[in-house]
Amino acid sequence: MARELWRRLLGWEGLLLVLLLAVLGFNITRVPNFLTVANQINLFQLGIEKAIVVLVMTFVIISGEIDLSVASMMGLSAATAAALFESGAPMLLAIIVALGVGAGFGLINGYFVAIVGLSSLAVTLAGYVGFRGLARLLVQDRSVGGFPEWFTRLGQQGLIGPLTLSIIIFAMLAIVATVVLHFSGFGRLTYVIGNSAQVARYSGVSVARTKLIIFTASGFISALAGVLMAARLGAVRASTAEGFELDIITVVLLGGVSIFGGVGSMAGVLLSTYLVLNLRNGLVIAGVTGNTQTGIIGLLLILSVLVPNLAGRVRERLRRRQPDPSLRGPPQEAADPARSQTAPG
Amino acid sequence: MNVKTRRWMTGVACAGLLAANMVPAVLAQTPVSGEAVTAEPGQEVKMMLLPKFLGILPFDQANQGAEEAAAELGNPTPLDFVGPTAENSVAGQIEFVTNAPAGEYDVIMLSNNSGDQIVPAAVAAQEAGIPVVTWDSPIPTGEGESLFVAQVDFDETGQVMAEMARSILGEDGGQFAILSASPDAANQNAWIAAMETALEDPAFENLELLEIVYGDDQSEKSYEQALALISKHPDMELIMAPTSVGIVAAAQALQNEGLCEEIKVSGLGVPAEMLEYTQNGCAPEFALWSFVDLGYLTYYVSYLLATGAIEGVEGERFVAGRLGEYEITKDPTRPDVDALRVLMGPFTVYNIDNVEEAAG
Repeated sequence: MARELWRRLLGWEGLLLVLLLAVLGFNITRVPNFLTVANQINLFQLGIEKAIVVLVMTFVIISGEIDLSVASMMGLSAATAAALFESGAPMLLAIIVALGVGAGFGLINGYFVAIVGLSSLAVTLAGYVGFRGLARLLVQDRSVGGFPEWFTRLGQQGLIGPLTLSIIIFAMLAIVATVVLHFSGFGRLTYVIGNSAQVARYSGVSVARTKLIIFTASGFISALAGVLMAARLGAVRASTAEGFELDIITVVLLGGVSIFGGVGSMAGVLLSTYLVLNLRNGLVIAGVTGNTQTGIIGLLLILSVLVPNLAGRVRERLRRRQPDPSLRGPPQEAADPARSQTAPG
Repeated sequence: MNVKTRRWMTGVACAGLLAANMVPAVLAQTPVSGEAVTAEPGQEVKMMLLPKFLGILPFDQANQGAEEAAAELGNPTPLDFVGPTAENSVAGQIEFVTNAPAGEYDVIMLSNNSGDQIVPAAVAAQEAGIPVVTWDSPIPTGEGESLFVAQVDFDETGQVMAEMARSILGEDGGQFAILSASPDAANQNAWIAAMETALEDPAFENLELLEIVYGDDQSEKSYEQALALISKHPDMELIMAPTSVGIVAAAQALQNEGLCEEIKVSGLGVPAEMLEYTQNGCAPEFALWSFVDLGYLTYYVSYLLATGAIEGVEGERFVAGRLGEYEITKDPTRPDVDALRVLMGPFTVYNIDNVEEAAG
């Protein structure tokens, strides 16, 4: 166990920890109120919907797939709830229908990927366009607001002390996601499928069922995040959450999850979530404008995709020069994100 | 409102010299009726100028005016001109306002693009002792807003737009459409509402408003919306765009389609950006106010508020440098809510006779 921890600290998670400490150090010295409870709550609250979807996106990417439709689904669920409420439905019913729409379309995504066998890139790209289009049909060019007070209060104010409902949901989902990914059969299956779907199928493993569940969860959680965002902002537009899918995928990849599947850990993803939230918080408080923020987050994505690949190539070379691998300790194929990202197949 | 005393000191010898500056200069000149408050220069006030988003000329001009006032007032803390991207305007503005207390700002100057969605963040800022001065675009309910620096009277904007429409369409009138900014933009929404009210007057009975579309203050989207209007309404003769981005995009669309003879553009635009379209007849008439002056006045009133020289209550009067004297009044264009306003004015209507001079 200690050895496992040590290996991780030397790996990607260690690098994230160093980056995080650097950003934290910068924020603490630069921003006098950084460590106050209020600021830490704000820091989570302002990006909480993305953080929630990041959890499920981790499963999607580790299973070797991608879901580009998450942000459009957030918009569609928010628009569904808003349109229903506007037409006279009780808010609670509107929320339930919105969540149902999320799970339903997630299931459809999953059907085309897992049963029909289409590429998830193509299927969810269709969702990316289609769900946003449906959202536009529902609320058009308007801004729909005027929700009941209990709804916006849930989105904006603390439920348990200063902790908002969204933050509590995120914390609970983070625990569930960690347990399922690392300590359950379902989690092991997700890794195996991501490493090689062919092998998994021949081993008698139900690839389709696993993927179906993951995509349905992705749709449902995205819809939940969309409703939470509607509550936080107090109004919905067709463009709600537009462009979020890239931020979400960035955080997952930065967390050390391989874009080719099979590799990654919830610890890394949670670290990278906190890192990006801190980075944004620090940048905003330091008075950095929106464009520059986007640029810096973009640099991080480049870093997270390039560095593991380059590091992997360097190691590959070193290994060829060292013919006796037994001197290097036990092989750590699947658990080393740096190496596996060089070898998709 | 706490005013931070100067932290730095170049040497002991300077200390005596600086002493005068170090006095927390809340020389709270309680406004005697009839006497306008003048700002005490040289105080350290950390100020955030937060436009709807960055990257368009009017907001740069407002920043220029604010910097001019900052230099005049000798505020040693540099002005922070920050803003989100246009696509992320609502969430981005909420993010900046929410984080303002952590950033230890003394005052926020906000051109609100987030409707009432900004209210929780603005209220929290005020509770942390940070006044929220809105300019250009207010918070509709006035909640979380200390006061609003209005460029012009919002009801007058509607009237001016109606008159420009009549002057372009002629006495026999015609059909027109509105190309606005974003559906959450409080200022544009108020102007459009005021124009709709003005249109009820029998004097404008020949003007028919077809529909209102939104280009979100993004050039491409506004351009597409203008094209969509053109193909959807064959009898439309005018696009009224009360936004500097929309009016240019619409004029460009008409010019590219070669339709400037049949359809005209009007609304609110920056002379420098509208010059060519006024000269080629696409946009014979449009209106605006000085965004430089708006930024200047906003900085003055925010500085006075943050230093405690004024409290931000009805009836207070103050001097804003070269612009002269102003009074804080109830905002008559938001009668249902308890909001305060400082009115700048005036409007300038631009046409072929004066656009070149204004474009500089």
